Amino acid sequence: MAEVRVAVPPTARKGEVIEIKTLVSHPMDNGFLLDYGGRMIPRWIINRFEVEYNGEMVFSADWHVSISTNPYLIFYTVATETGQLDFKWYDDNGEIYTHTAEITVT
Amino acid sequence: MSPIKTMVAGTFGAALLALPVTLPAAADETAPANLANACAGCHGTDGISPGPTPSINEISEEDMIALLTAFKNDEAAVTMMNRIAKGYTDAEIAAIAAYFASMM
Amino acid sequence: MTQKSTRRDVLKLAGAATAATVAPTIATAQSAGGVVVIGAGFGGATAARYLRRAGVSVTLVEQNSSFSTCPFSNTVLGGINNFSSITHGFGGLRREGVNVVRGRVNAVDPDAKSITLDGGDTIAYDRLIMSPGIDFKWDAIEGYDEAAAELMPHAWKAGSQTNILRRQLEAMPDGGVVAIAPPGNPFRCPPGPYERASLIAHYLKTEKPRSKVLILDAKDSFSKQGLFQAGWAELYGDLIEWVPFSEGGNVARVDPATNTIFTDFDEHKVDVANIIPPQRSNRLVDTAGLADGGDWCPINQTTFESTIHANIHVLGDASIAGRMPKSGFSANSQAKVCAAAVAALLAGNDPASPSFINTCYSLVAPDYGISVAAIYRIIEDGTIAPVAGAGGVSPSDAPASTRALEADYARGWYASITADMFG
Ligand SMILES: Cc1cc2nc3c(=O)[nH]c(=O)nc-3n(C[C@H](O)[C@H](O)[C@H](O)COP(=O)(O)OP(=O)(O)OC[C@H]3O[C@@H](n4cnc5c(N)ncnc54)[C@H](O)[C@@H]3O)c2cc1C
Ligand code: HEC
Repeated sequence: MAEVRVAVPPTARKGEVIEIKTLVSHPMDNGFLLDYGGRMIPRWIINRFEVEYNGEMVFSADWHVSISTNPYLIFYTVATETGQLDFKWYDDNGEIYTHTAEITVT
Repeated sequence: MSPIKTMVAGTFGAALLALPVTLPAAADETAPANLANACAGCHGTDGISPGPTPSINEISEEDMIALLTAFKNDEAAVTMMNRIAKGYTDAEIAAIAAYFASMM
Repeated sequence: MTQKSTRRDVLKLAGAATAATVAPTIATAQSAGGVVVIGAGFGGATAARYLRRAGVSVTLVEQNSSFSTCPFSNTVLGGINNFSSITHGFGGLRREGVNVVRGRVNAVDPDAKSITLDGGDTIAYDRLIMSPGIDFKWDAIEGYDEAAAELMPHAWKAGSQTNILRRQLEAMPDGGVVAIAPPGNPFRCPPGPYERASLIAHYLKTEKPRSKVLILDAKDSFSKQGLFQAGWAELYGDLIEWVPFSEGGNVARVDPATNTIFTDFDEHKVDVANIIPPQRSNRLVDTAGLADGGDWCPINQTTFESTIHANIHVLGDASIAGRMPKSGFSANSQAKVCAAAVAALLAGNDPASPSFINTCYSLVAPDYGISVAAIYRIIEDGTIAPVAGAGGVSPSDAPASTRALEADYARGWYASITADMFG
């Protein structure tokens, strides 16, 4: 299970460009590494990240093996209306980590 | 604790840049003064130490070679010199010893 | 006394005799320059002293009348030493014949081969050696500028900043929180923030035991981490809390008025805030474009000559010295190689192949020392890299007696290196 952190400004003016920071604790094993015993550590990464703003996709990314441990991602979007941002990280192992943040737009 | 991760050679060549180097070939000789001056950071200028670290300015060439070789081979119970001495070839140890002896 | 010291006395006298001929006045741009060194810190003082020992005439320009070392400044913060014990004058350098000039350099002119001081005086050089250290990136953490540093000291240059932080620690009530915010790599003295946390914890444990040290880190790992964390657990219990980047440790913004630190995801109101901002080479290098638009100065790592301008050598924290960390020991080691290279170049000879050492001793407590060491060489691509199989950190399972011995040797290192710098 990965731990996720998200920072969204609680309030914004309509039309304002807002900065959103995300951080997920994850080993992001790229599948090319050996452990102490010389055994291959299997690939285990988060392969996709998505953000929906009131149901509309505002950011998405496919992640590959070059993304570092504990991916930290900052992106910008336009504050359009009061509502909710839904964050989703898709793990190789089938798990989906989620987070929801509220924003009030004036 | 996460396991030490070793790169599989050849797969990601660039990552190998992070690996340390081996000692230079004997042909590329380092000047004795350049070797010995670095010791002064701990042992004082010309090996004369003003504090608790031992001075090394009055050690004969033979003794210096014997000491550094013992440090290098982990044959002496020390806190630091085993780690330092491993950075020098036998020829360099001899050059360092001769350098300090020449100042006596 | 033995024959050897007599020999040394004779050598010293020879140096003193030369000193009389090098009057401590500022030369004009027309005069033959010789070697000019900027900065009487770890790199500059050492370079000047070793050039002098090689018989080269040297002018050393320093903005301050004495030099206070960052190394061991953490012992001042921990109440173990006083500030005067880390401050060194330039009398020894002068006695050995170094022309020490007090002045702030405000420009380097590579075409005229001269430097300009505040007040307009110029000094000409044949070769210039710069070891001016670091400057801070004031824009990196929102709200953290020079004024904020008076309230939330960085104490990453020893001086009034060290004293501000010490006074804040003394004034803090028992039960307070001291935050330390280390930057991401690369920065001056990678183990420094963690030694600082240790020695502040040592002070708090003795004087204000209900207090806490909170490290808000921009990184997920740090120098000698295993040794530090074992020492902290053993000596300080849970007095020190380390929040790595991946647990939200990265500081994004500060509010000095309320002593509040905003990490990317949280907010911490603290009693003492030691913010160590990201760093770059001293801005003086920009007057000659020596950082080539980047943060640090590219150099030929064998001679430390700038790859941007001939006849200017840059060393110490300001330079890109391969894989050597930015430390006082590195600067001292580089300075001796650079001095030898400059002496050789002035004499028309080829510079010799270099060898370097770096060691960083850290005190986890006054009688608990740990260290990391490496030997460095030039590799095929011309960069500085550590020798495989040598160096490394103190053993993780060492007994208390070894830690005590290493603490003594840390003091020995300090005595030796400052003597190597200032005579
Ligand atoms: C808290 C702390 C602890 C540390 N502990 C250790 C340790 O234990 N071991 C270790 O090896 N390193 C340690 N360091 C790192 C060490 O202090 C630096 O790496 C070292 O000082 C770098 O040397 P330098 O010559 O590049 O710069 P400095 O030593 O900073 O010297 C630069 C000099 O240039 C002068 N100067 C700058 N600009 C001008 C100008 N325009 N005109 C005239 N003069 C100028 C400055 O006044 C200064 O005297 C520590 C650092 C800190 C902050
Ligand atoms: C980082 C500090 C450091 C550096 C650099 C260093 N030394 Fe040492 N040296 C020590 C310490 C500390 C001791 C005491 C033994 C120990 O605990 O390692 C010592 C001991 C010695 C001794 C034994 C002295 C005696 O009387 O027992 C010799 C010889 C010596 N060093 C030579 C050298 C030489 C030559 C160099 C340079 C190539 C060098 N050292 C670099 C720290 C250092």
